[in-house]
Amino acid sequence: MNASAKHWIRWELLLILRSRLSVCALLLLLLLSAFAVWSGLHETARQRQTIERLALLHEQDTATVTKPNLAAYLVYYNTWDAPSDAAFLALGLRDVSPYVLRVRAMGLQGQIHEGETFNPELALPGRFDFAFVLIYLAPLFAIALLHDVISGERHAGRLRLLLSMPAARHLWWRRTALRYVLLLGCLLLPLLAGAWVEGTATTSILQIVFTAASYLAFWTGLCLLVAVRGWRSVASATALMALWTVLTLVLPTLANVAMTRLIPVNQGIELTLEQRHAVHEAWEIPREETMEKFFVNHPEWRDTPALPEGFHLKWYFAFQQVGDESVAKEAEDYRRGLLARQSWATRLGWLLPGVGAQTVLHRVADTDLPAQLAYQDSIAGYHRDIRAFYYDYLFFERSFGMEDFAKRPLFSPRTADAPAPGYAFWALLVLCWLFAVAGLAASRQGRWQ
Amino acid sequence: MSTVTRIAREEWRALTRDRVAVFGFLLLTVLTLVAALNAYEHQRHVSSERARYQEHANHEFEEQPDRHPHRAAHFGHYLFRPLNPLAAFDPGIDSYTGNTLYLEPHRQNSANFGDVRQSSLLLRFGQLTPAFVLQVLAPLLLVFVGHASVARERESGTLRILLAQGVGGGQIVLGKLLALSGFAALALLPALLALGWLAVSGQSGWIPILLLGGGYGLWLLLWSLAVVWLSSLFARGRDALLGLLAVWAVLVILLPRWVPEFANRAVNLPTRFETEIQVKRENLELGNAHNPDDPKFAEFRERILREYGVERVEDLPINFKGLVGEEGERQTSELFNRHIAASFERQMQQNRLVDGFAWLSPTLALRRLSMGTAETDLANYRRFIEQGEAYRYDLIQRLNRIQAEALSYADDTDPNKDSRVDKSYWQTFPEFHYQPMPLADTLRRTAPALLVLLLWLATLTALAVRAARRLGRSAQ
Repeated sequence: MNASAKHWIRWELLLILRSRLSVCALLLLLLLSAFAVWSGLHETARQRQTIERLALLHEQDTATVTKPNLAAYLVYYNTWDAPSDAAFLALGLRDVSPYVLRVRAMGLQGQIHEGETFNPELALPGRFDFAFVLIYLAPLFAIALLHDVISGERHAGRLRLLLSMPAARHLWWRRTALRYVLLLGCLLLPLLAGAWVEGTATTSILQIVFTAASYLAFWTGLCLLVAVRGWRSVASATALMALWTVLTLVLPTLANVAMTRLIPVNQGIELTLEQRHAVHEAWEIPREETMEKFFVNHPEWRDTPALPEGFHLKWYFAFQQVGDESVAKEAEDYRRGLLARQSWATRLGWLLPGVGAQTVLHRVADTDLPAQLAYQDSIAGYHRDIRAFYYDYLFFERSFGMEDFAKRPLFSPRTADAPAPGYAFWALLVLCWLFAVAGLAASRQGRWQ
Repeated sequence: MSTVTRIAREEWRALTRDRVAVFGFLLLTVLTLVAALNAYEHQRHVSSERARYQEHANHEFEEQPDRHPHRAAHFGHYLFRPLNPLAAFDPGIDSYTGNTLYLEPHRQNSANFGDVRQSSLLLRFGQLTPAFVLQVLAPLLLVFVGHASVARERESGTLRILLAQGVGGGQIVLGKLLALSGFAALALLPALLALGWLAVSGQSGWIPILLLGGGYGLWLLLWSLAVVWLSSLFARGRDALLGLLAVWAVLVILLPRWVPEFANRAVNLPTRFETEIQVKRENLELGNAHNPDDPKFAEFRERILREYGVERVEDLPINFKGLVGEEGERQTSELFNRHIAASFERQMQQNRLVDGFAWLSPTLALRRLSMGTAETDLANYRRFIEQGEAYRYDLIQRLNRIQAEALSYADDTDPNKDSRVDKSYWQTFPEFHYQPMPLADTLRRTAPALLVLLLWLATLTALAVRAARRLGRSAQ
């Protein structure tokens, strides 16, 4: 760094530090970001502890099994979905959907949509996490620091003097860049500390840092674009706040309305109603009919001993599984509907940087709808293993003792590798820096004279 | 008084010339109307959808074939949470709670299929409803429109002239307040008309409508006061604007998110998983209701035998298996009720903590008032869950009673016999009808929130009066 650069940075820094408003704003942002990160760390630690505690509780519960012959029917199996190493920065859906779930070997569709106990009034306003500080609050701070970057000088009577100096062309971008760097530093310092504590993967950290930097650059660019119009400070602040309101409050909610309307997801309710019907119908029709339906999809069990007189568990499990399979199409449709909503939200992020940043952060944090579906998939996979395990005993009429019960399959949680940057990430980068560059270019033209 | 109205009229004239005020007002009106129409349409759509599902579920229950009563119990029933018409104004937690409740014997389920798990994360940006527009956006508009009301006069030196001419500080502040609250009333008008229409068309009573209208009127009056007060404190309009924006961001955006975080941490809520294990543990002590020979029911058996004056259960004039089912259901229901009530109590405790912060942010008080009146808060959800449980209990016990009276013990315990009762039984069951919260309860529950808002009003009035006096003195 040469001497002149050091020189201007020192003077500009001094200028910022002498403004009480700027110092207060920067400190407050640092504080809010630190609090959000801390509270996210606290929450993920709590979730990990809960998972651990419940594993122990579940073990004790399973230890009470004394009649292995009924194990297939009575026993619960525990599954869990631990928060990723980046979950602390965007808690997403983890507060409203289960991250621990117990299932039995019976019909899966009747169990997998089970909800979690949570206080809906507390969930309603949303979590106070880093994603919130970045997406909602950081732009407000950028506006506070940057809306009068030019008009403030005019107000102070220095504008003409400044413009007459040879370095005037560089002045605005330097001044803006310095404020941008300070804001970004206040946002990111606590985040990096949090990532260090959690041991967050480098690819995740890089994506988060670039997302935050880009999103802030977008707002900085926007502030410059408004500032060069030469309006009074109040008019600039008003215009920027209007933009903030429309971009982060109004348009996303309007989009959500449209999406809910255009992509209905009633299949969830319908499939549970239908599955119940299919399951209970089995008691009304000849048992062989059910077995026939079952063997169509599972021929490997066909050549096994025939059903004896009276109740038999293999018939019971067969109709449970037939019940699941009878709604396979609805389950698929339901899932497709959910994913369609997700992908439209992602596409919206190409236009709205707030939505884009939210999508990217929650993807990196692995706390979005796809993460929830991936957890459901891991439950379904485990459930398949459990069924196969018991069918082996049931269909071949093999005896099942405590030592067999000990051999039951164990749940292996899905491993969420740090996701690679996707389209949403690159689109966000392009969109944000486009605005940043536009703001910069406008500030060098100096139309406000 | 005429001085006050003259000042107000002057301020109005300035407002109508202010592009920000006019454009902001138009935008807010359009948003309110779009939000009201959308929320109304959504409410109607959801309501009819849930009514249709409910009818379907009722039909499915009634049309069961001849069945063993306990099989019918395991077939179970579905309830769909109805949506109050006022949810068209403030849907509250509707999207965050499940709306499908499955009723079966021996256990109580969670309500599933809430929108929040089906909506991507866009829902977390908030929902466009009239309540959202008035709670979040309307105060922001008042800040932009009114921040300079007094500060402008001071900045341009006209304040000094006015005071020198003998106009009192109080008159100036009152005049500005009159103008700004008039503007606020105008901004509130579309929402009031929408609310009034809900009452006129008979979808809601007048009292809740008046309460909502009054609550939001109070809310905007609070903001008008705060804006004029802070405007009279700051020397420059720009500082007043930044100060007011900071206040708005803290009260409307920050605290409503931060306070629940605090409540979440202060009161821990056990997961469903934990509760279920706990219930199961305690349930093991109670005995298996499917097995009349379970030793845990020995005492019950003795009592029944004594009651009927017979020696053996086979000699009872009634099916003992059904009685055991009844007794078992009674015991497990008690167990579940206790745990679920405890969970709700904890949630209520969390909400009370949040309500306590209404002294810090009136937004919280307004939200309580709004959701409480629209019957879309936790207490109303709990009401649905509890009525659903009462209905479930009654349904299962009726089926147990049928088992006890219509089937003989000998048939019922014979594993080779397929005991069933006639399907005409299924049509004798009453349908579920949700009983909304009585108005008196709603009023009682929302009264504290109203009180908090009134106290905020009193405090701000006192502050504005003091500022007005100081304004008057500054001329001397």
